[in-house]
Amino acid sequence: MTIGLDHYLAVAAILFTIGVFGIFVNRRNVIVILMSIELILLAVNINLVAFSTFLHDVVGQIFALFVLTVAAAEAAVGLAILVTFFRWRGDIAVDDASMMKG
Amino acid sequence: MPLQAIAFYVLAAVTVFAAVAVVFARNPVHSVLFLITTFFSAAGLFVLMGAEFLAMMLVVVYVGAVAVLFLFVVMMLDVDFASLRQGFARYLPLGALVAAVLTVEMVIVAADVAHLGAAASSTGPATPSAVMTNVEAIGAVLYTDYVYVFQAAGLVLLVAMIGAIVLTLKHRPGVKRQSVAAQMARTPKAGVRMVTINSGEGVDA
Amino acid sequence: MTPVHLAALAAPQLLLAGASLVLLVVGAFRPKAIRLVAGLGVLSLLAAVGVVAIEPLGRAFGGDLVADQGAAFAEAVIYLASAAAILLGQPWFARRGQARFEFPILILIAALGMGMMCRAADLISLFVAIELQSLSLYILAAFEKSDGKSAEAGLKYFVLGALSTGIMLYGVSLIYGFAGGTSFARIAAAVAHGASGGVLFGLVFLICGLAFKVSAAPFHMWTPDVYEGAPTPVVGFFAGAPKLAAMVLLARVLTESFGPALAQWRQILVVMAILSVAVGALAGLRQSNLKRLWAYSSIASIGYALIGLAAGGPEGVQAMLVYMTLYVVDVTGFFACLAALAREGRPLESFADVSGLVRQRPGLAVAMTVFALSGLGLPPFSGLWGKFYVFKAAISAGLAPAAVAALIGSVVAAYYYLRLVKVMWLDAPEGQIDAPPAEAAGLAYAAAFFVFPVVLIALMALDPAARAAALALVQG
Repeated sequence: MTIGLDHYLAVAAILFTIGVFGIFVNRRNVIVILMSIELILLAVNINLVAFSTFLHDVVGQIFALFVLTVAAAEAAVGLAILVTFFRWRGDIAVDDASMMKG
Repeated sequence: MPLQAIAFYVLAAVTVFAAVAVVFARNPVHSVLFLITTFFSAAGLFVLMGAEFLAMMLVVVYVGAVAVLFLFVVMMLDVDFASLRQGFARYLPLGALVAAVLTVEMVIVAADVAHLGAAASSTGPATPSAVMTNVEAIGAVLYTDYVYVFQAAGLVLLVAMIGAIVLTLKHRPGVKRQSVAAQMARTPKAGVRMVTINSGEGVDA
Repeated sequence: MTPVHLAALAAPQLLLAGASLVLLVVGAFRPKAIRLVAGLGVLSLLAAVGVVAIEPLGRAFGGDLVADQGAAFAEAVIYLASAAAILLGQPWFARRGQARFEFPILILIAALGMGMMCRAADLISLFVAIELQSLSLYILAAFEKSDGKSAEAGLKYFVLGALSTGIMLYGVSLIYGFAGGTSFARIAAAVAHGASGGVLFGLVFLICGLAFKVSAAPFHMWTPDVYEGAPTPVVGFFAGAPKLAAMVLLARVLTESFGPALAQWRQILVVMAILSVAVGALAGLRQSNLKRLWAYSSIASIGYALIGLAAGGPEGVQAMLVYMTLYVVDVTGFFACLAALAREGRPLESFADVSGLVRQRPGLAVAMTVFALSGLGLPPFSGLWGKFYVFKAAISAGLAPAAVAALIGSVVAAYYYLRLVKVMWLDAPEGQIDAPPAEAAGLAYAAAFFVFPVVLIALMALDPAARAAALALVQG
């Protein structure tokens, strides 16, 4: 039984859906939402690396490297914005925002 | 079953279960720890595919920096996380149904791409080459063909740094800080005052 | 290709990157010299416009970087709009005691990212450029420290933006897997043999991600909240330039790499366009806040631009470019008006706030009327000419039903544009309005003057320039 491209893509697809699902059910908890986004980006990276090695083409890994870099920057910015928001509200729930109607 | 297949199934199972636990954990600290587990086992999958450099980057960048950053913020914010779980049970059944359908669809789509696309004729994952290691192969193009994007990625990190500083730095008035430059610039002339004291008069500052 | 040649192809990007680094050092060591940093930022953006006009054309880095007329046209507009944002924003923050030298630098880097978006013909540079631009905009949305709404706007924008990036990237990874490469030319070669369902699925994800960036329905949910909460000059900036950049990128992806799949993506664009016009018109009717109202107005505008793009071919892309350019001037001018108006330091934001404006600030009231009537598409203002191009392209591409639907949308939207005019001209004023700051009023007047009558002359230059740009974008 050999492990093919399909297997890796399936893992990525499952991770992607878990990420989307996590955002859907944890609407009020921004920290878990940010972690779910990291899961989605991990799914993308698995996809890219899998295609890259099965195509014998290093470009996919370069792409994954940039996704990693940008995801780290994104996490830093997201958490910084979250901290400013927390300083104002004393809370991190976005859904029940009373100041603006969603 | 060959060793590789066993490794794949173990790592894949751990990745998926840890990812589910990230979403379901009651305590966000546990979520972060499960996130680290997910990244570790995903790094194992990368090694299985022959992408050692990225596996290492995943551990260094994600586990070392991003996850620790998350942990910091979770600890720093004093939030009642239980109250944030309101509505969790309400959205759960519908969410689970949508997720199940979505998973099946995504797997079908991925299989379609794998079998009809450029990878259809693939003979398997890249095997270690005698000419060039994985790191050499990445380095050979990263600083030549992709130098433009590489520099832009540097700017992305710069923006993140500027953003984190500009958004969270607070200058509190009235806090005494050490100014090394001022200390170093101080001369005996500015700091020492010579006084002549006559005997029996004491020091009158 | 020699390094000198490569540097010449990326000249505006190098200029802006260098300028932002130098200004960062200046700002760090001279924190008081904020006006100097802002002034130099404006100058470097204007210099970038000049460089765009004279630099050589060509491709480098396997499509990561494309310098053609399409990119040059859009970049010139984007850099000018960014310069206007610095001119408007720096004094605005200074009046609130929050002037920080990072503001012009973030605008510069965002402009750099948008320029890269216009020049990207490769999935990797597409992604990095979008992120460079988006991260700067998330920070700018949360930039106002004295207002909790600004932080909330930033957070909402960030969460939805990061999600859309994730979804877009998943689609991009599928496209890469299908084509076996990341350059648009490689994708075009792979799709020419027939696009499988999987790769179309990837394309849909990619379109969804870009639709979020231009706030096209049904990916518009963030727009009203973010526009209401973010600082006014920043809103004026990200309602204009980033959308033009994303539209140019979308045009390049769709025509250069997915040209053979025209029939499939056209359906998606038409549906999004009609939804955007409908949402913009109907939801706009219920708004009382002017920033929210203009958020819906911008959603409707993107709907028209998407119809132009859906028409495809040089004519459709030209219509999109002309429409978006005129829209950028329109929206920048409107938010300059809002930035200029305040009552005892409190910005005017609702219909009630601007009632009887014409009796106190006739100049700004006329300017706002011009922008409202232009948004409505009334002759002879610029909005009409944009719509004219779009409808012409749509009808010649056989998209007449979509054009008719969009026209009905404009008739519905006429209600809120005319209501704004009526409130300003006929209702009784309440309270004294502060003297408008010179730079904001000046920008508003300049934009109004462009909307009518300068546009009639400008179109003579704009039409051939946009045509050359569209040809370059379509032919790749």
